[in-house]
Amino acid sequence: MRATRNRGTRGGPGPLFLAPYLPFLLVFGVLPMIYAVGLAFTDGAGGWAGFRNFTRTTGDYRFLPAFRHILLYTSVWLGLLVVLVVGLALLLHGRANRVSATFRFLFYIPGALAGASSVLVWLFMLDPSVSPGSFLLRHVLGSELFVQSIAPGKLPFIFAMIAFWTGAGGWIVVMYGALNTIPQDLEEAARIDGAGPVTIALRLKLPLLRKWIAYMAILSFATGTQLFVEPQLVNQASLGLVPDTWSSNQLAYQMAFRYGDFNAAAAISVDLLAIGLVAAVVIVTRTGLFRADD
Amino acid sequence: MRLAARGVRFAILAVVAVFFVVPLLWLVLAPTKSDAGLVTSHPLAFGSLHQVVLAWQHLDAFSDHLYRAWIGNSLLYAVSATAIVLATAVPAGYGLAFGRFPGRRAVLSLTLVVMIMPAAALVLPIFLELDALHLIGSSLSVILPFAFYPFGVYLAYIYYATALPSGVLDAARLDGCGEWSTFRHVALPLAKPVVALVLFFSFVADWNNFFLPYAVLADSKQYPIQVGLSDLLSSTPSFNPAVGGGGQQVNIFRPELALATLLAVIPVAIVFMLSQRALVRGLVGGGVKE
Amino acid sequence: MIQRRLWPVLVVVALAVAGCSTSSRGGSGPAGSPTSRTVGGDITIWVDSVRLPAAQAYAKAHPNVHANIVTFDGDGNGATTLQTKIQLWNRTGKGWPDVIFSEQVNDPVWMAQKPFDFAAPVKDLIPAELLSQWPAPSTAQCTINGTQYCVQDNLAQVVLWVNKKLMDQFGYTVPTTWQQWAALGDKVAREHPGYIVGNIGDSFSHWIYLWGNQCPLQQLRGSTLLINPADAHCTRAASMLDPLVQNGTVPPLSVFTPDFAKKYGGAEDKILLMPGPAWYAQALFDQTLHIPAKQITAAAPLQWESETPVTTGQVGGGPWIISRHSTNLATAADFVIWATTVYNPTGSESRPGYPAYAPLATTWLKAQATNPYFAADPTPALQGAASQIWSGWNLVTFPDQPVWSNTVVTQLVAGKSLSSLLGPLGNALAQAAQAAGYAVTQQ
Repeated sequence: MRATRNRGTRGGPGPLFLAPYLPFLLVFGVLPMIYAVGLAFTDGAGGWAGFRNFTRTTGDYRFLPAFRHILLYTSVWLGLLVVLVVGLALLLHGRANRVSATFRFLFYIPGALAGASSVLVWLFMLDPSVSPGSFLLRHVLGSELFVQSIAPGKLPFIFAMIAFWTGAGGWIVVMYGALNTIPQDLEEAARIDGAGPVTIALRLKLPLLRKWIAYMAILSFATGTQLFVEPQLVNQASLGLVPDTWSSNQLAYQMAFRYGDFNAAAAISVDLLAIGLVAAVVIVTRTGLFRADD
Repeated sequence: MRLAARGVRFAILAVVAVFFVVPLLWLVLAPTKSDAGLVTSHPLAFGSLHQVVLAWQHLDAFSDHLYRAWIGNSLLYAVSATAIVLATAVPAGYGLAFGRFPGRRAVLSLTLVVMIMPAAALVLPIFLELDALHLIGSSLSVILPFAFYPFGVYLAYIYYATALPSGVLDAARLDGCGEWSTFRHVALPLAKPVVALVLFFSFVADWNNFFLPYAVLADSKQYPIQVGLSDLLSSTPSFNPAVGGGGQQVNIFRPELALATLLAVIPVAIVFMLSQRALVRGLVGGGVKE
Repeated sequence: MIQRRLWPVLVVVALAVAGCSTSSRGGSGPAGSPTSRTVGGDITIWVDSVRLPAAQAYAKAHPNVHANIVTFDGDGNGATTLQTKIQLWNRTGKGWPDVIFSEQVNDPVWMAQKPFDFAAPVKDLIPAELLSQWPAPSTAQCTINGTQYCVQDNLAQVVLWVNKKLMDQFGYTVPTTWQQWAALGDKVAREHPGYIVGNIGDSFSHWIYLWGNQCPLQQLRGSTLLINPADAHCTRAASMLDPLVQNGTVPPLSVFTPDFAKKYGGAEDKILLMPGPAWYAQALFDQTLHIPAKQITAAAPLQWESETPVTTGQVGGGPWIISRHSTNLATAADFVIWATTVYNPTGSESRPGYPAYAPLATTWLKAQATNPYFAADPTPALQGAASQIWSGWNLVTFPDQPVWSNTVVTQLVAGKSLSSLLGPLGNALAQAAQAAGYAVTQQ
């Protein structure tokens, strides 16, 4: 029987279960990672370049502004995510389940529009002449015209808002699911002890969400620093007012596909990877994310 | 006191819901108005169905039914890739959760690391790899990278590790089932929630992916809908008027763009509806306890 | 069990094979012989939305040609679409279109050089007797390192567009110098607030106000690029414009945005004067802004005080480029020739721009002279300005439009003065130039 050949050392599924997945992991995961790092340290002819690509790209006049942009954007977005997603999930995890389900559905629908679609919708939302939120645009954002909505200083916040609109729903669902794993008896016990809903939320539920919050923060940090679609489309819609190298990823794209300089592009990508890894390590060690997984 | 608290809770949730829902409502109503109508009438007013038909005709006429090609491409890429993902991720998640062979933790760690690697950073080397394999220009240049979905593997792994007590599997093994039989007769049927989840996330991720197809596809007839939308945006007078004036023959204005965006969302919305139960129940817990 | 595991794979393979269409069919016309006169077969044409009718009309008039027409952004507003596309095609060795129309006048400059190497010299493809009928400055813009690589579709000299009806109604005389224009702007702000005498929010506004006034921001000296925003020509133009931007008669809005149309176009009809290129004509005023007929005409470009010769700027004049890799050069050339020397529909379908090919220009001008849309004959001004484009602003390999938009327009919107932005503009241009490989000098 095939099964006996496939039995692992202590019984249980063997490595053959991973066989279909491994080629993909190697070809589209591990190899590109190694290739990217390799490209970052070699030059166009394949010879060793040391850190030259890195110094070259950091010296590019578009590099620092792009990094400033995405770091500001990522901070704002992460802040919104952690505070609001967790807050909303806790609010939803009350007792009126049908109401809660309806709200979760409503929060989640924009997630279907991630990518170019959501940006297109928000291009309209940011135009005071057609937007249903024109009142808010005029009085909160201070913009009478579309060009004012996309003024350079506002862009990181605008993009964070768009990303939150599309991404929050999914994470709320995940957090809500995580909250569902809390045994009912714990909650009952706390309630019997006289704890109000706020106390239960903060003292009981929140700590149990720590792992998920960390997971969310790691993934969101990585995707946040890779921002591409939003500034790319706003660049097109604003007729060039917003540069096509606003984010680091856009700069990497231009380096690779416009200048044909894959080494410089790889250097920028490795920079982004390094930031993502550092953030991941910090978050993992400070929240003990991997302790429970064994 | 209790009532006031619930009232406040409801009010907050309602305000937040408005933020999430109103732009979508606008999107649904925008194609019913003409371009001038969008500016003059109330943003959430309903125009006319005739206007929607007109908008569709303009959209369809763009570059010889290019819009239909885009939707078709997205379906092709997303469905093919998701099929592969399901075939690879579910067994892999199972193997990672219950297997005890060497290298298991390595694969798990690699999967996690790759997940946090900026996908954009991977696109450039993947492009070079695909070029070396002479796949640039074919649909496989999009489908194969899409078929690698580490998040799906991780979801399956978490699901199996937490929701399936190994006692169930031991029972099956004691009954004489080999590993594949155990998987097929016990683990797989119980995997319905995670299959739905992985299917949903993978399909949506593939449908919404912009950067990879943008980078590797040169022919606009092969674009998926997301890249197509950006192409539409840049090829039409409203948002990118030609230095040279005119171009009004292209007839794509804001209602057409809104319609294009709306139609691009429908397949994902359908998949969402079908995966509703698994999603609402959440990733962990729920039905497995039964 | 095997079936279960293989089924998705089979589905995928089937779908993949079905979707695996080759991306481009090589032209089935004669293989590359440039002097062959056989026109027919397949060609792929990339055009922007404005040139689309020309491509469609050609396909219709030539049923033996199967034209695959692709609409794209035309590389407008300084986009880098074509650079990324050509890189991709070069890398994969296939997919190049046969003909490209670009809205960026400087595109042929990099297309003709490494690593792009895309443009085919036109000498062998277009007969010399035709080529000689393009004005010398136009040919010069298409000549890179001594070889001509493109032909321009239209001339885009800047003239002064006038709303004759409103000017007469308010009792103003049409200015002939920048100084008179500025004084008028001042007057308009006081007497008729809300009306405008120009705009400065377009990605090409610097070509109107700075190029025409001989500001050296893009002047090639051999292989060095002169960028001197402190030159008197630049500073005096900026000082003249500052109060006008402040008082609202020259708003930092793009003429193509819905916001501009809403404030000043059609129903409002608040445009008194507008320095702008020849192709504004009906394309902008009628089709985009819906200004009623019998109001607009053109006047000669503005002169700085009494300085001669009168120089003006240029906004576009898109080139047609034929691909070096085309396997159907005869048809590609035939199409380009047709689009630039023959295609001249009348009425509402007429060419938006002043044709670069001189004989066609004559015909076009005749039609515009009697065009019922205009309040008066605009052709003397258009024709006169054609030879007045300042030659001290050269074409480079990097797009300067995004630099202007990003550095200046965004800050003008925020309320800063143009004079204060000249320095940053110069710096940003220098950075872009250096990134593109130029040596930059300030003197």
